[in-house]
Amino acid sequence: MAKKRSIGGTAGIFLKESTVLKAAAKVRESGFIKFDAITPYPVHGMEEACGIKRSWIPYVTFTAGCAGLLAALGLVYYTSVIDWPINVGGKPMFSLPAFIPIMFELTVLFAALSSVGALFYICGMPKIDPPVIDKDLTCHKFAIFIPENDVGYNAERVEKLMKDLGADEVKKVAEY
Amino acid sequence: MGSHSHQELKISKFEAPQALKSAIYTFLVIGIITFALGVFKNPERLWTSYLTAFFYFASLACGAMFFIAFNHAAKAGWSASIRRFAEAMTSYFPVMLISSLVLILGFKYLYAWGNPETFHNLAHSKQIYLQPWFVITRMLIFGLGSWYFGKLIVGNSLKQDNNGDHALTYKNLSLSIGYIAFFAIFFTLFSIDLMMSLLPTWYSTIYGIYCFAAAIQSTMAFLAIVIVWMRNSPWLSGYVTEEHQHDIGKFLKGFTVFWAYIAFSQFILIWYANIPEETEFYILRSLNGWMPVSFALLIFRFIVPFLTLLPRGSKRNNTILVSISVLVLVMQYVDLYWLVYPNFYDGVPKFGGWEIGIFLGFAGLFLLTMTKFMTKHNLVAVQDPRLHEALKHHVSY
Repeated sequence: MAKKRSIGGTAGIFLKESTVLKAAAKVRESGFIKFDAITPYPVHGMEEACGIKRSWIPYVTFTAGCAGLLAALGLVYYTSVIDWPINVGGKPMFSLPAFIPIMFELTVLFAALSSVGALFYICGMPKIDPPVIDKDLTCHKFAIFIPENDVGYNAERVEKLMKDLGADEVKKVAEY
Repeated sequence: MGSHSHQELKISKFEAPQALKSAIYTFLVIGIITFALGVFKNPERLWTSYLTAFFYFASLACGAMFFIAFNHAAKAGWSASIRRFAEAMTSYFPVMLISSLVLILGFKYLYAWGNPETFHNLAHSKQIYLQPWFVITRMLIFGLGSWYFGKLIVGNSLKQDNNGDHALTYKNLSLSIGYIAFFAIFFTLFSIDLMMSLLPTWYSTIYGIYCFAAAIQSTMAFLAIVIVWMRNSPWLSGYVTEEHQHDIGKFLKGFTVFWAYIAFSQFILIWYANIPEETEFYILRSLNGWMPVSFALLIFRFIVPFLTLLPRGSKRNNTILVSISVLVLVMQYVDLYWLVYPNFYDGVPKFGGWEIGIFLGFAGLFLLTMTKFMTKHNLVAVQDPRLHEALKHHVSY
């Protein structure tokens, strides 16, 4: 969810994918809920390890798609039946087959744009100049970040936990 | 990477359950009796139901071969552990070839061009293309070619089970590309020759793709049923998982949309242009009680499967996926029935024991070849170089 200010916390930097995956599961078992795993590429199994629930974007997509379908039906119905009826090939003014391509297109348009919009909202984008934990996180390192407002946060405890889990280094940083 | 990744890998010899075996032999007996009765009592009904059922199972076998081919061509890793089920479906090819030869006996009942008296009423260009020997040649090329490609591609895969030679996978890549090209041309001709020419005055340039979309959709439905069955069977453990089921479910949904897209594309152009020689096809299918069948196709072949398969959960739920697959397989029969039958019996739908008997006979043949293949060979391509990808396959979205 979008956060306005940057929040301090502790980040453990890991060098191996398998270590960070296990570490994320352990951090979750230790009772932290607001922590985040930062990886340079999608790591399979990370959602389960971090306990991330399924995204709600699909519901946005479906709702917006239905809205687009009805909006298109309304549009073509108003323009070609009510406002400016034109007889084409002797067909009825309300000819559903002729409307379907437009209904399909607006369904896709609404669904796609809303999904992108919802994605931007969930990720709190655009995020201009966020604090950098470690510049190698975009390349070959992995991190687990625990914000200081998380349940049972204690800087020393977290530092020890990270070390125990095999972190290469532990940093006090700010995220977002 | 859920709990299933720790599941123990186990594979044992497949043995068809007794109930399935007896069902297959009952189906075969019913089919043979119906066929024998039909030849003497009601040849027209026999051959229309024969054509429908013949095309149904030919579509399934070709669809399975196409599934294998496009997975090889895309170097797909996820499907390596389920490919053998599709390969089992292609073992029907010899039967398809033989039953297409039997179909030649029915030409004079089915087609205007199969009858010397009506043949001369056709337009000159169609008289050239639809000469019976020319149709039979194309049909034979299709049957023999499918069999040949199946033997090569599936044969390489089976050989690999024994020697583990990775070169066979690369050989299959180029063979698969060859098969896709062959399939594109000859399946189109196959559907035009056997199905579209039932109404020789009508034509549609999208007809081959329509039959193709229907074939692939039903193949995915059939594979989904086999995967759910095998996943919960005593013969396999760890090789076929919920993830494979999910991806086949996605294919099924994708081809459901594709079928609707092609069917609508064909319909809207004809409906819009409203040219008499083109509308004939849809007029036949909107009169005399055919309208409900046409709408049933729209609802049960597109709307219901599409909306049901949208959520992730329903593709991973055995009951929902199997019910939708059965629905799609039934609608595939209705679709072919809808393509064949309006051209006969004064355009009135006729359905009864003939159709069911012949269909069961073909179903018996199909399941017999398939179970024989599965009993004879490993249930999974155990030496496939990409098998490790399939075992770790994980659908995260």
